[in-house]
Amino acid sequence: MNGGALTRREAVARFAALPAFSSLLRAQRAPQLRGEPPGRIAPLDELVNTHEFEPSARRKLASAVYETVAETARDGFDRITFRPRMMVNTLALDLTTELFGRSMFAPILVGPIARQKQFHADGEAAMAAGAAGAKAVMALADRSDVPVERIAERAAAGFWGQVYMSGDGAAALARVRRMTAAGCSAVVVTVNPGPGTGRRLNWGFFKRVRDAVSAPLILKGVMDAELAHAAVERGADGIVVSNHGGRSGAAAAQPIGVLPAIAGALAGRAPILIDGGFRRGGDVLKALALGASAVLVCRPAVWGLAAYGAAGARTAIELMQTELARDMAMCGAVNIAAIRPEHVRIHRRAPGE
Amino acid sequence: MRERPAGKIEQSWRRSPSRRAALGSLAGFLLGSPDLFAQQDPFRDHSRVPGLDELLTAFDFEEVAYAKLPRAAYNYTAHGGAGEFTVRRNREAFQWAAIRPKSSAKAAVVDASTEVLGTKMQFPIMAAPSAAHVALHPSKELGSYSGCTAAAGTPMIVSYATSTPFEEIAAAGGGPLWYQLYPREKLEDNRPRLERAQAAGCKAVVVTIDQQAAYYDRSAHDRNLSSRRRRPSVRPGVKPQNPYRFTSTRLWYEWKLFDGLRPMVRTPLLAKGILTPEDALLCIEHGLDGIVVSNHGGRGLDYSPSSLEVLPEIVDAVGGRIPVLIDSGFRRGGDVLKALALGAKAVCLGRVPRWGLASFGAAGVQRALEIVQAELVLAMKQAGCPTLAAADRSLVRLDLP
Repeated sequence: MNGGALTRREAVARFAALPAFSSLLRAQRAPQLRGEPPGRIAPLDELVNTHEFEPSARRKLASAVYETVAETARDGFDRITFRPRMMVNTLALDLTTELFGRSMFAPILVGPIARQKQFHADGEAAMAAGAAGAKAVMALADRSDVPVERIAERAAAGFWGQVYMSGDGAAALARVRRMTAAGCSAVVVTVNPGPGTGRRLNWGFFKRVRDAVSAPLILKGVMDAELAHAAVERGADGIVVSNHGGRSGAAAAQPIGVLPAIAGALAGRAPILIDGGFRRGGDVLKALALGASAVLVCRPAVWGLAAYGAAGARTAIELMQTELARDMAMCGAVNIAAIRPEHVRIHRRAPGE
Repeated sequence: MRERPAGKIEQSWRRSPSRRAALGSLAGFLLGSPDLFAQQDPFRDHSRVPGLDELLTAFDFEEVAYAKLPRAAYNYTAHGGAGEFTVRRNREAFQWAAIRPKSSAKAAVVDASTEVLGTKMQFPIMAAPSAAHVALHPSKELGSYSGCTAAAGTPMIVSYATSTPFEEIAAAGGGPLWYQLYPREKLEDNRPRLERAQAAGCKAVVVTIDQQAAYYDRSAHDRNLSSRRRRPSVRPGVKPQNPYRFTSTRLWYEWKLFDGLRPMVRTPLLAKGILTPEDALLCIEHGLDGIVVSNHGGRGLDYSPSSLEVLPEIVDAVGGRIPVLIDSGFRRGGDVLKALALGAKAVCLGRVPRWGLASFGAAGVQRALEIVQAELVLAMKQAGCPTLAAADRSLVRLDLP
């Protein structure tokens, strides 16, 4: 063998090195990262829809807190498609909504969310500032971490006050009086929905609240036509179709699914509001087409608050307002009154069913 | 020559299988590796782009387009409005329509030719208008046109946002050309474009009437894969037109536009973007010669219905007075046959020729169209339809959700 030639050892070593540089082995490396890198809180102005707020909120919140505001089932919206009408002039696009004698910038409110300091150090004060920035009415939860008087200072677009029925109602009634004294423009009496809610309801308390306040009185937690009827008969000025964010367990139905039946039963006798799973302007448009007057938005506002404070809550609401405006233009509805049931079609099945 | 002392490895070889056997084992080991098998599947490793003759369905062209295009150009073709519900529904809709072959024997010879508003075509398939082919292939619209022409003279609808002037495309010669118009607010501003297209020989004008305020999120979905992009509402230097923080040049649309356009157009005039029978009737009322049922390939209003699911009710409302064309989601010959059976006169393909152009230029456009044409012929044979006239509603069982 030639002394200048490779030894077998060297030849084998080089042969062994060959696979090490092979593209085959490199192909086995960890795949390139897609989507948000772990732990990154995206800058607020990169986010283009409310769904994108959730991962950032998840990274900011303790997991036990996050679980209470994690995304819920919302396939009810997938059973509804639009019937967009073309060639309708929408240069005068206007989302202004009249509700209980007041004018709102858009039919989107921030819903009542309890104990918001668990999401952000400034809690309801930051949420009120965010809602005001988006020109949206904020519904203040019964169990609030910030006194209602401080909210009244910040909620430039107005605020509603929520109250739960409990005990004999004397304490709850006192809270209602304090909220109305602070300037809340509507009182939202909340019941936990479920079978037979109407029978379990403490109508005596409801009547006392009715007698105590001159502001519009709204019953929240309605999931069937029977309770909607009963509420209006007993003096409610409006109702909120709601399953308490899907947390009540007993109510598997989604609010958007029961809305048409309730709207049909009330036949315009009182305004209907709705919450539960609203993430897109298009979701809001569906509810308005099916008979709702306005929508309460909860989780997107909380996600925005948790990740970015007041600016986040404001942006989440503003994104939904913009989407609603665009979808109205594409459906050929120039204002809220022009949104008709004929703009949607309800399907028996969601995709994939 | 001096014998070098044997090292440990060499000594071990003396005790164990021969070098030849050892190398043989190693080679066998590598051959058995899943990595090597992975390379034999053209779609597993993008370092190897499959050849034109390896592509068997229109879907295959998307994979090649993905491998060859800059990410932004691929995304532009792939994207849909908002959460892309309608993009998905456009494909799912074909599962709701099942072809029931006629009881008669399979058709031995099939004639799929038809004529739509004076344009004769060998297959009821056209290339839908789609923007800016310059992003897909250096041959731009000229490549698309020669590919369409080579594929049995497939008529091509040239986009309003073409990267090649209509005259230049027409001068290249080939199959029939139609022209797509996005209308301008001042009526007279539409005349020069319409004149140029008609002088260059367009056979029909298609006015797109949807997309008043479309938006999409895909750049955000793929944030980590492409350049970061801010929300349009916060883009600096753009002044929103309304308190809802968006700008659109199309909110003025009104039906009376067509009363003004009609005298400017000597060819057949169609409206594209119809999704309701009400609007189809308004098209007839305003003197249109045809309509295209379309949700813009899912690129407009999200949660629009698939075009296939609203086709039957629109065909019923029109009642044969004007031809009904359709697009959005069509990828296979079977898809085309379903729409024809439900009353469409022809089907427009948007993404399919775009993927073809991005993959292999004109040859890719030709092959992608030919594949769909061949699938249509096969589907007609199997369904027992010797001609398109035999493809009536009894051919399809609908189970709409």
